[in-house]
Amino acid sequence: MNERHDIEQRIGRALESLDGMKRAQPAPWFYTRLRARLERDEPVTVWEHIGSFLSRPAVVVAGLCVILVANVTILLKQPAAATIGPNTVAQSETVVESESLIASSSSFDYENFAP
Amino acid sequence: MDERTLVELLKQGDETAFREMVETWQDMVYNTALGIVQVPSDAEDIAQEVFVQVYQSVSSFKGDSKFSTWLYRITITKSLDHERRKKRKKRFAFVKSLFGEDSEVLVHPPDFNHPGVQLDKKEDAAILFEAIRGLPQNQRIAFTLHKVEGLSYQEVSDVMKTSISSVESLMHRAKTNLRKILENHYKSR
Repeated sequence: MNERHDIEQRIGRALESLDGMKRAQPAPWFYTRLRARLERDEPVTVWEHIGSFLSRPAVVVAGLCVILVANVTILLKQPAAATIGPNTVAQSETVVESESLIASSSSFDYENFAP
Repeated sequence: MDERTLVELLKQGDETAFREMVETWQDMVYNTALGIVQVPSDAEDIAQEVFVQVYQSVSSFKGDSKFSTWLYRITITKSLDHERRKKRKKRFAFVKSLFGEDSEVLVHPPDFNHPGVQLDKKEDAAILFEAIRGLPQNQRIAFTLHKVEGLSYQEVSDVMKTSISSVESLMHRAKTNLRKILENHYKSR
């Protein structure tokens, strides 16, 4: 009974121990130390922000993954696109023919006609 | 100098206004941080961080609340961030020690003596501060602002962006929990 009463008293004392307390103050010359810190911690520029964002391991890994996936996708699609059909050959021959046609009818050929 | 003029001058980067602002509120910021982290060197570090942030982002202060309320919010956020960082370091140091690496496990100092407590109450206050560390975050903040900083419930509710009845409830639960923690403490002695 006595112990219980004693504990209650101690709890009451502890809970009231902060009553009437004063504010703690930082050590002297706080402002001087703060100024020194401000001069040390220069504000970062936008480019530094971008640089620090891009150099994050997660961003680097994600970027590499995107490049890898893009490469694999291109490689898988390439054989279908690279298949050359008979129409393609015919088209390229037509182009060559038309080019030679233009070449043969240039003014140089008419003026320097060799018999 | 009134608050509005001071804020305007701060936004213009006025050096004298910044000095005046620091000198006016440094005790408030330091005392709040000390009440939360309970380590003087950490509280000094947090107080500096708070003023560095004010210096860099005073333009974002809209004036919807009092300047001191804004300062309290920054101080609390910085103090809680500091505690989280410290806990992370502690866990990391513990894991490193499990792997046999040489690392110092960070331990919270056992007794914190707040310099503002009256001499005859120092021992009881040290026990109470230890018990406060065991409270949930919101109860701890409300209790610290009210008891250590001496803010009214209205002011606490402004800082915590909550209603007065919520603050009353937080305080009631904080006191109930503190009673339990203190009872266990005294029983185990």
